[in-house]
Amino acid sequence: MNSRPDPNESENPMNTPDLKVDALVVGGGIAGMQSALDLADQGYRVALVEKEASIGGKMIMLSKVFPTLDCCSCITTPKMSAVAHHDNITLLTTCDVQALHTNGNGGYTAKVQQNPRYIDADACTGCRQCEYVCPIDLPASYDLDMGATRAIRVPFSTAVPQKAIIDIEHCLLCGKCEKACPTDAVDFSQQPFTFNIETNAVVLATGFQTTPTDAKREYGGGKLLNVIDALSMERLLAPTGPYGHILRPSDGKEPESIAYVQCAGSRDQSLGVPYCSRVCCMYAIKQAMLLSGALPMADITIYYMDIRTFGKGYEQFYQNAKAMGIEFVHGKVARIDEDSEHNPVIRVETIENGRIAERTHDLVVLSVGMLPGENLGPIFDVQPADDGFAAIPDPTLSPSATGHPGVFVTGTASGPMDIVDSIIMAGAAAAQAAAYLETMRSSVAAGPTAIPEVAHV
Amino acid sequence: MTQDKEAARARTAMLKKLREEHKDTIEHTRVLLKKQQEIRRIISQAMKDGAGTVPEIAGASGLPAHEVLWHVTAMKKYDLVTETGRDGDYYRYALVEEASQ
Ligand SMILES: Cc1cc2nc3c(=O)[nH]c(=O)nc-3n(C[C@H](O)[C@H](O)[C@H](O)COP(=O)(O)OP(=O)(O)OC[C@H]3O[C@@H](n4cnc5c(N)ncnc54)[C@H](O)[C@@H]3O)c2cc1C
Repeated sequence: MNSRPDPNESENPMNTPDLKVDALVVGGGIAGMQSALDLADQGYRVALVEKEASIGGKMIMLSKVFPTLDCCSCITTPKMSAVAHHDNITLLTTCDVQALHTNGNGGYTAKVQQNPRYIDADACTGCRQCEYVCPIDLPASYDLDMGATRAIRVPFSTAVPQKAIIDIEHCLLCGKCEKACPTDAVDFSQQPFTFNIETNAVVLATGFQTTPTDAKREYGGGKLLNVIDALSMERLLAPTGPYGHILRPSDGKEPESIAYVQCAGSRDQSLGVPYCSRVCCMYAIKQAMLLSGALPMADITIYYMDIRTFGKGYEQFYQNAKAMGIEFVHGKVARIDEDSEHNPVIRVETIENGRIAERTHDLVVLSVGMLPGENLGPIFDVQPADDGFAAIPDPTLSPSATGHPGVFVTGTASGPMDIVDSIIMAGAAAAQAAAYLETMRSSVAAGPTAIPEVAHV
Repeated sequence: MTQDKEAARARTAMLKKLREEHKDTIEHTRVLLKKQQEIRRIISQAMKDGAGTVPEIAGASGLPAHEVLWHVTAMKKYDLVTETGRDGDYYRYALVEEASQ
């Protein structure tokens, strides 16, 4: 195992490396984890930097995955553990890359800040006794605020690492957690600290965000209690979800009629999002199938403009959903209001006969799109393309190369894609990074000037 | 012994500094906690006579049903409330101490 930087050391100047690796992977979602594992399995030393307290990205929040309907936690957790336990991977959570500079030898020096957990991670066993005595309940972002968490918490049940973290912005500093901790792991003296990572290759896997639920005002998201987004539905469907059942947020009723509104954030010029997010049709069909399994008496309707099922086995998946009795209504939803019982009322113009219809449901799910995550311009000098995702100079022949030697981008940081494509692209980025590392190695062997000098990133 | 005392003094100073740095957020959380304790008191009172659904607890407490659901969900997660079965489209919840009697 590579030695970790010492959190008690003071800030280091840019020129002293605290960690030397072959490749730095930024982002610990499925794409970043897969690139890290592919490189580490080939014997390269990798540092994986994740800004959150756990790796897993969006995938660990999902219930099951299309098209196989595998349990998401069951397939993601082993990958998360593999990353954490790999001898060639140094996992650094709660970390931000603040600067990346060329080091003059064809490689890069990254300045990284680790934000404090206020927990001695070596001592913490993840027992959650601290969480149980913490007096304040807060909305849990992992459950899209439908459930609760506390100011000191283990981020979620399958978090890797299974270590507590204190949300200092909501901590009363009452000291109850310190008293309850059996291993004296609470440490309020921790400070943010910076350190340097010297690396020869960089893989950017910073992922995506979903369209804000309230982006389309006429759909009432964020205002109408029973209009939720698809990520919230993933949490409701997950066995570890906030309620333990599929209930609607206004009053805890098990919904009998659930509707999906497609393209609620994609292919929409009014939102400045002209592109298709590529996953919404499939995740809506998946969720509809899971709902009809969990709530056999419920009516499930999908309002759509086009259904795009382009992947292997995806069209069959769609046909199966139709055969299961899920209703597909070809029409454009104009607006959503609610009645006096908080039941959402959908106003839809159907394509077949051009009529306007109003239909009432218990719960409406907005199939929100994929938006670019982190802007990689300021720190990594990888500029956004027209769609806001990382620009790829040669997407046909070199889909993960950024134009900076040794810097690659993968997964949804480069554009909307599903898990299968994220994994394929993560493998491609790792292969390109490995090829670059080998070129560097042979160039170093051949002489010091063989590596081209690159722009300051 | 003196070393222990010094360490304790340093710790007190560190906590004092941290409290000073975060005094606005601590105050904000304190207000939130007070409000939360009051809501919990009202919900617990409404559940004193036995298990209820979210609309029933909301009716008895005068709180909005979505707020009751959030608090009952939080109380269930931290073992203060338990689910005791169903009533039509709704689940029933009871205080753990009531359910165990
Ligand atoms: C509702 C919904 C349901 C879906 N269902 C399916 C499905 O069933 N099947 C399927 O194939 N796909 C599905 N998808 C798509 C799937 O979620 C994505 O393909 C996948 O999660 C992309 O992984 P990623 O690693 O690229 O990004 P992410 O999961 O977003 O991971 C990015 C990681 O990088 C971290 N990060 C970001 N910025 C920084 C930074 N500056 N420094 C350090 N770390 C950083 C983030 O914290 C995060 O951990 C679904 C998507 C949605 C929205």
